[in-house]
Amino acid sequence: MLGLIARRLLQLPLILGAIYTLTLALAWAVPGNPLENPEGRRPPPEVVEAMQAQYNLDSFWNFYSSYLHSASGVKWVQENLSGEAARERAAADAAGVAPPERRVFDLGPSLQYRDRNVNEIVAAALPVSVTVGGAAILLALVVGLSAGVVGAVRPNSLADVSTLAVALIGISQPTFVIGTVLQLVFAVWLLWFAVGEWGHVSNLVLPAVTLSLPFAAYIARLTRMGMLDCMSADFIRTARAKGVSETRVLLRHALKNAFLPVLSYLGPATALAMTGSFVVERVFTVPGMGQHFVNAVQNKDLFLIIGVVLIFATMLILFNLAVDVMYRWIDPRIE
Amino acid sequence: MLRLLLPVLVLLGVVGVTVVADRPMPRADFTFINRGDVTTLDLAVMSWQQDFRIARFLFEGLTKNDIFTDDYEVKPAAAERWDVSPDGLVYTFHLREGARWSNGEPLLASDFAYAWRRLLLPDNAGDYAKLVTVIKGAGDFYAWRTRALSDFAKATDVPDRAEAGRALWRETLARFDRTVGITAVDDRTLRVELERPTPYFLDLTSFAAFYPTYRPLVEAYESIDPRTARVRTKPDWTKPPKLVCNGPFVLSVWRFKRDMRFEQNPHYWNRESLAVRTIAIPSVQDGNAQVMAFRTGAVDWVSDVTPGYRADILAAKRAFYREHQVEYDRLVALGLDAQDIDRALPSDPRKNIHAFPAFGTYFYNFNCLPRLPDGRDNPMADRRVRRALAMAIDKDSLVRNVRRGGEPVARTLIPPNSIAGYTSPKGLGYDPAAARALLAEAGYPGGKGLGPVEILFNKDGGHDLIAQAIARDWTENLGVAVLLSMKEVKVFRDDLKNANFMTSRASWFGDYGDPTTFLNLNETDDGNNDRKYSSPVFDALLQKARDEPDATKRLAVLTEAERLIVEEDLPLVPLFTYEQVYLFDADKLSGISPHPRQEQNMYLMDILGDGRGLDVPRSMRRRSAVAAE
Repeated sequence: MLGLIARRLLQLPLILGAIYTLTLALAWAVPGNPLENPEGRRPPPEVVEAMQAQYNLDSFWNFYSSYLHSASGVKWVQENLSGEAARERAAADAAGVAPPERRVFDLGPSLQYRDRNVNEIVAAALPVSVTVGGAAILLALVVGLSAGVVGAVRPNSLADVSTLAVALIGISQPTFVIGTVLQLVFAVWLLWFAVGEWGHVSNLVLPAVTLSLPFAAYIARLTRMGMLDCMSADFIRTARAKGVSETRVLLRHALKNAFLPVLSYLGPATALAMTGSFVVERVFTVPGMGQHFVNAVQNKDLFLIIGVVLIFATMLILFNLAVDVMYRWIDPRIE
Repeated sequence: MLRLLLPVLVLLGVVGVTVVADRPMPRADFTFINRGDVTTLDLAVMSWQQDFRIARFLFEGLTKNDIFTDDYEVKPAAAERWDVSPDGLVYTFHLREGARWSNGEPLLASDFAYAWRRLLLPDNAGDYAKLVTVIKGAGDFYAWRTRALSDFAKATDVPDRAEAGRALWRETLARFDRTVGITAVDDRTLRVELERPTPYFLDLTSFAAFYPTYRPLVEAYESIDPRTARVRTKPDWTKPPKLVCNGPFVLSVWRFKRDMRFEQNPHYWNRESLAVRTIAIPSVQDGNAQVMAFRTGAVDWVSDVTPGYRADILAAKRAFYREHQVEYDRLVALGLDAQDIDRALPSDPRKNIHAFPAFGTYFYNFNCLPRLPDGRDNPMADRRVRRALAMAIDKDSLVRNVRRGGEPVARTLIPPNSIAGYTSPKGLGYDPAAARALLAEAGYPGGKGLGPVEILFNKDGGHDLIAQAIARDWTENLGVAVLLSMKEVKVFRDDLKNANFMTSRASWFGDYGDPTTFLNLNETDDGNNDRKYSSPVFDALLQKARDEPDATKRLAVLTEAERLIVEEDLPLVPLFTYEQVYLFDADKLSGISPHPRQEQNMYLMDILGDGRGLDVPRSMRRRSAVAAE
């Protein structure tokens, strides 16, 4: 088990390095100048030139190596080991100016939001997305598992057909339709929830429900299929023959086995839900990560593009690792 | 079973902790949705309307505009009075005794000098640096520093670049003090010498880019980049609680992409005038969510209404007026402004949408270069072709059937009546027959030999619909083939900059109350002259206006310059004046000005009937009419 974790964690930087290279190459190829405003006044050419030099935007390889240097933490380690950081802090104290801020993993400035750097942006947005995504996955698990079990216990019954119908809607309807309808009904007509604010627990409900629907639908179908397979297996018949109660048969024997495919789906699903959805965030004014995936590309905000992609990749890898660990724990037969 | 529950419990824990850690705040007295998220609060590099809107209630300039007068009357602000020398070249501002920063320190004349130096320095790459060049020596200083920096970057034989950079900086400061006409005579007196008489100078001192900066704070974040010798300002000082300001409000919370919150500045000299205690700006980007936030009462004002059904709610407002036509006509005849008319009519949710003409114009560029970048001949270089194309656009139909928002058709670049004392030229009307004749004269009878004419525009924003309508007009009226070229906004901007287009969509919003804020962008070599229009006559007219000491004569010269643009040479064809569409309840909220320049000042906001402030609606005052009587 520890070997697995160690091996995977060692792989992490390699995978992230590959993703970084690929993302930067693609983002670099996007046409347009990241330092230009989309509308209105244009900075003088000498200014653009100077800013390009400042951010290393004048050369792909300069940018590639300088970003890697600061984002990987190598720069931080070097500066601290060489004593440069301490020297600068002392100099700043002596001069009465603000000491330079150093971050271990420095993801760089945002080219669009001049007062912010990518670390700050991620620090502000990630907790929000993790909350909404976590709540959504939780909801999806509860709803999906129960619907799946109900469907499997009485296949083709009214309950089964109606959960299937709900699941179909959940999968096939885009979230901007579901989200807007939910908002219209519950926030605007019934006034149960507020619009355009973030902070209350109640603000979490509608976005989490909207975000959870596709996941819930998928989990429901996975569970139902797994349960149906299990219910006809020999060990279930044995359990019943031993006189085990039906509830215990369902939950202890069948669900435990049917849960394994759900668990492997849960890894990427959680990473996806927790890094935010652009649509859900826009409809419900959630200040999460999803908007940055889209906006950063539109603005060609290189630092932010790479930053959010690396965060997403890291989460995906870590959640998959967590799933694998749990897999082994739940089912020790798996190597 | 327990093992199965574990992932659920972990998730539950994560959600629980974040929810508990994040407490909501009580609703602010006044809550509004800004045009977009704030990019920066550093006055020297500010460029967006939404940033300036906030700057105007966080900071206070020497002077301010009264946005409820038709000529944007200049009033004392941080300066209680000023003297102007008879030749109009020297302004001496006297700061008021009680003007203080939000930390209690007195506001100094040198704070203005420092802020203007930062605004001017090419290091900071401010979009408005060029505005400072009306001040004596500022243009030369800018050019000198730009050259020095460029030489520094090229120099390879400098042993200690850090020290050399600092030396250059010391020289720069000395040069600024020596050559630029900004002098802090004492703590409360600021003397400004101008390059030439500038009738709109007090309009500039009212513009947020010229507001002061708290020097001890910002200086602590400045450093010299050893590689380029540029002064770098780390941006952290703009965030609370670090930010020090001198305006009516202070920033208490700024959560990125989430909300901003403001409280009254305890040291503001004119605190009694404020009618709200707290202001909040939630970050709501989706146009539909903005409307819903207003309908559910979460916000008091939506400052830029953008959902797809905007035209429909505007139509509902017009329908509401039609239902009360007799009363409406009577109120209009009384000369009431739009909001007072709304207040006098019966209560109705349809009343809450308000459309005001804005200080911006939507127009089409013509590329005036003889050749396109790919080597092709450019037929748009012939001004007869440009005029013909301009006269063949049915703007009325465009506004009525395509935009459907009720925007006024524009025949001039400068929105009419937006600048007091300025007479707009007539411009060209819709005249397909004359356009055909002109096109034939240019050598393209029936559109033969011309084309296809390419229209460049960017995705989103409804620009595609406008381009299609114009293409149809040109094809039907002139017989020319039209090619539509839709690009991502970044590519669009690149193409504009490289003059890689025949015609393109464009827009411009004015910054200060003078025609030059629109006309300058047609001057040869102006950084925003996308059309590459170069007319010695036009340039000479702008120069003549600069040298003209008499304000009335000067404006007449500028009218002639605009006439050249919109009637003769047509480097661009104005299509419509932008409209600012707001959502607010005029019965409940006062302080929003219907003036075409559409600056809104949050320190004027007053929730009617809450017992704070005047609680009487503000109305427009017509000053130029009073003066004429």
